Amino acid sequence: MTATDTVLEALSLRRPVSSSDAAVALLAALVDDVDQRCSSVSITPST
Amino acid sequence: MPNVTEGCVADAKSGVRLATRSEGIAHRDDLKDLTSLAVQGDRTAIESLIAQLRPMVVRYCRARLGRVSGQYHIADDVAQEVCIAVLSALPRYRDMGRPFASFVFGIASHKVADALRSSVRSAVPTQDLPDGPDEGPGPEETVVRYIEAEHARRLLSRLPDNQRELLMLRVVSGLSAEETGNVLGMSPGAVRVAQHRALARLRAMAELESIA
Repeated sequence: MTATDTVLEALSLRRPVSSSDAAVALLAALVDDVDQRCSSVSITPST
Repeated sequence: MPNVTEGCVADAKSGVRLATRSEGIAHRDDLKDLTSLAVQGDRTAIESLIAQLRPMVVRYCRARLGRVSGQYHIADDVAQEVCIAVLSALPRYRDMGRPFASFVFGIASHKVADALRSSVRSAVPTQDLPDGPDEGPGPEETVVRYIEAEHARRLLSRLPDNQRELLMLRVVSGLSAEETGNVLGMSPGAVRVAQHRALARLRAMAELESIA
């Protein structure tokens, strides 16, 4: 349980995680994906 | 006049701190004062509060809603709606015995559910034209990352709601065990037990898929 918390804490803090755990790898991929920079383009509707 | 109790503001303090936890920014502002000022309409405090909340909300919405046509437009729009809803509700914010982060993620959860129900997901926005060279990952890396993230999203969607929400907040939004517990109404110890079980379940599903 402590090991799980350590790994999840690292993912949460966006620190590199070295693990062969498939579930950890999936979560790391998701984190990496959602952290992508937002589009620089914003559109303001006309009034 | 807003009615914010000390207890609520204290909870808000921990909730807001989460926003910058994963950014590595050593913000140790007096968030109690910040939240109090924001509730009272102080523009600078409101801007600072939203600036700290927004990254967490964006990650949460992106993880829950995923991409449409390879883009996060819809998720980012929903995150924006959440921030606007928080702003709108801020003057009327009352201590209901739940932390401020719980208030924010409660709104986010409803907005995400609305978006999932809505046919808006089928809308396909036109892709933005880049202003300059793309300095992001190459196409191959992008595709691999996309496939893995979609795989994660698909397996997470099969977890029980409480386990999925816990992993979203704890890992994707970047909250600590204590902060996740504040949002979900659990003790930090209960969060640690539940996250262990959730990860084990996710692992079992992933392994089952790899065998099949």
